[in-house]
Amino acid sequence: MEALKFLLGVFLPYLALLVFVGGMLYRLARWKKLASPPMTLYPAPPDEAGNLKNLLKETLFFKSLFHGDRWLWVLAWLFHVVLALIFVGHFRVFTNVDAIFMKMGMSEQAILAMSGGAGGAAGVIILVTAIVLLVRRLVVQRAREITSVADYFALALIGLIVFTGDIMRFSSEHFDLSDTRSYFAGLATFSNVAGDPLLDNGVFLLHMTLALLLFMYIPFSKILHLGGFFFTHQLIRKN
Amino acid sequence: MKPEEMKEKVVSSIKAIEKAPRSMQMYMEICAKCGTCASVCPIYFGKPEKRYNPAERSDLVRRIYKRYCTMSGRLLGSLAGAQDFDPGKMQEWVEMFYECTGCRRCASFCPFGIDNSVITRKGRAVADQLGLTPKTMLKVIQVSLATGNTDNASPAAFKAAIEFLEEEMEEEHGGTKIKIPVDVVGAEYFYVPPSGDVLVNPEATMGVAKVFHVLGMQDRWTMSSKCFDGANYGLFTGDDKSMKADNKAYVEEARRLGVKVMLMGECGHAHRIMKMMMEKGRWWGDLPFSIINCMEWTAQQIEAGRLQFDKSKNAQPVTYHDPCNFGRSCGIVDEPRKIMEASCADFREMYPNRAENWCCGGGGGLSAMDEIKEFRMEVSGKKKLAQIRETGATYVATACSNCKRQLTQLMEHHGLEIEVGGVHDMLSRAILVDGKAAERVSYD
Ligand code: HEM
Ligand code: SF4
Ligand code: SF4
Repeated sequence: MEALKFLLGVFLPYLALLVFVGGMLYRLARWKKLASPPMTLYPAPPDEAGNLKNLLKETLFFKSLFHGDRWLWVLAWLFHVVLALIFVGHFRVFTNVDAIFMKMGMSEQAILAMSGGAGGAAGVIILVTAIVLLVRRLVVQRAREITSVADYFALALIGLIVFTGDIMRFSSEHFDLSDTRSYFAGLATFSNVAGDPLLDNGVFLLHMTLALLLFMYIPFSKILHLGGFFFTHQLIRKN
Repeated sequence: MKPEEMKEKVVSSIKAIEKAPRSMQMYMEICAKCGTCASVCPIYFGKPEKRYNPAERSDLVRRIYKRYCTMSGRLLGSLAGAQDFDPGKMQEWVEMFYECTGCRRCASFCPFGIDNSVITRKGRAVADQLGLTPKTMLKVIQVSLATGNTDNASPAAFKAAIEFLEEEMEEEHGGTKIKIPVDVVGAEYFYVPPSGDVLVNPEATMGVAKVFHVLGMQDRWTMSSKCFDGANYGLFTGDDKSMKADNKAYVEEARRLGVKVMLMGECGHAHRIMKMMMEKGRWWGDLPFSIINCMEWTAQQIEAGRLQFDKSKNAQPVTYHDPCNFGRSCGIVDEPRKIMEASCADFREMYPNRAENWCCGGGGGLSAMDEIKEFRMEVSGKKKLAQIRETGATYVATACSNCKRQLTQLMEHHGLEIEVGGVHDMLSRAILVDGKAAERVSYD
């Protein structure tokens, strides 16, 4: 048990960070190196400013998908926006950012209400959208016939991460963020956190392990689109 | 070819994706398998089956790439979407890659802008290296490289055709001589149509000649008896070498003639290769001439009020089909409409149009392949047929020889009395020369 806690609670976080950062840099470097002959697709923005605006629209609103498949757009957009929210929200888990909010004039109650309200809603929405995306894959023919194990795996992984996260959030036992904050502070300062009591929380350990696996999986899977789609849009929309 | 030898060639060709281009490698890695491309693809619309799903077709290449070029694929195999090449499936491979029209509609709507036509072209290039390019396509390329045009016409035959056109125009316009200059060194404009617009549907070329005549520029343009066909099938077979060889002859001819402007004709892929690929990609370095399309040129003249028309000559309802290569790949969408609206009394749009237009079903060279005519008529052309029907038009204009062939067959096959022709064809029928439009003779 101690060995497992060390492996997942101490070793894996560092490994995952290395693999994720290294993997993404490796991908970016490889893409950058490759020649890219012109392949403009119209309507193409006439200049750099227009190009940037278009890219922003794609990033924030999934513009192409909006025109291509409205139902998938609703699902995917919700899914991603909430994903981004949750990502940002996790800063409260890692470290005490409440001080910043307080400086901005928020009371402690307000912060807790925001975290409980928006965070709680996010936890539900993302679980629902992930499940509906999965059902869509099973039901909609044009998606089903091109879906392989890897595609189910990505969704299942996300779903499990969300599910374990939701357990912690919605369980009757109060989860104290000061525990995670001291644990991550320990990791960040390379102190020995193997004995941290937080690691005795099985749900937390599972949640974090799955999340770290996802991070390591990204540079080697289709979720790589999070780094790639800027460039692929750029390739066809540059005039 | 032995299966092992075939496999080795296919695998090494796909491994080359690691070296270039960027688009290919990224497309191999980031497709989310969301199926959006399928819902906007003319082929999948025509027949919603796995085989016709763009992502499935692209996966033929992608699986092998993953198997040989990615760590996850090497380690995890099919769990990571990897699969080895099966030489027994090569025939199916060739068929499937000739079931995509390269229309790039998928790229317009894919959340990541993945252009499946690039992968299709790669799939065809692999087939080409194995000598498995469909014979009809191969023949067009061989003829084109040997004679400079896809219709196997000699310079003498070309000149005879031009003389015939001049006589026709003289007759149409009550004795007014309208010239089509040929091989004039020192001319400013070098008109490069598809050979079909000289030999098969020559009204477009007559239209261009009339524009120059009305502008009083009859001595300032020329055609070439060696280079009168911008069509270039290397784009379709994935064979870069022949595409560039074919293209080079035209650039050299333009240099020899000393022209200032290369005036591309109503041929989408020819214009795309010349303007978007050759000029932009600087295949032959600096060019002493600019490249524009005849539709841009004519539209400018109309805007400047230099051309007059008798619209009653084109009284029937008319619609315009945007060739994918003009609409999506070159951004030429307003110019043909300007010409149509100036010369036709009842111009109607089909929807969607312009850059979102549906392919005719004959793109990517498919139009020339009679062996898959049934597929073109019943599957790939299905959406276009419905779109055209909806307009109620009795004439479909389009600026591409391949689209014209496909659409003509589509109308015949489905028993519709709808004429198919070019944009300058309509102009030719309505433009005023010395104050009078053509007294049209029948060309049937
Ligand atoms: C703004 C650009 C992005 C676009 C347009 C986009 C689009 C998509 C689409 C269309 C799907 C497929 C949904 C399905 O049918 O399963 C998807 C899945 C997914 N995306 Fe994104 N995405 C973007 C950015 C990101 C980012 C930044 C992340 C960060 C982690 C991300 C993570 C995921 C995950 C985890 C999935 C689920 C995997 C799956 O469905 O197999 N995406 N995305
Ligand atoms: S729309 Fe794009 S990401 Fe979705 S399956 Fe097609 S190519 Fe892949
Ligand atoms: S290029 Fe056109 S025909 Fe080919 S997959 Fe894309 S949408 Fe379909």
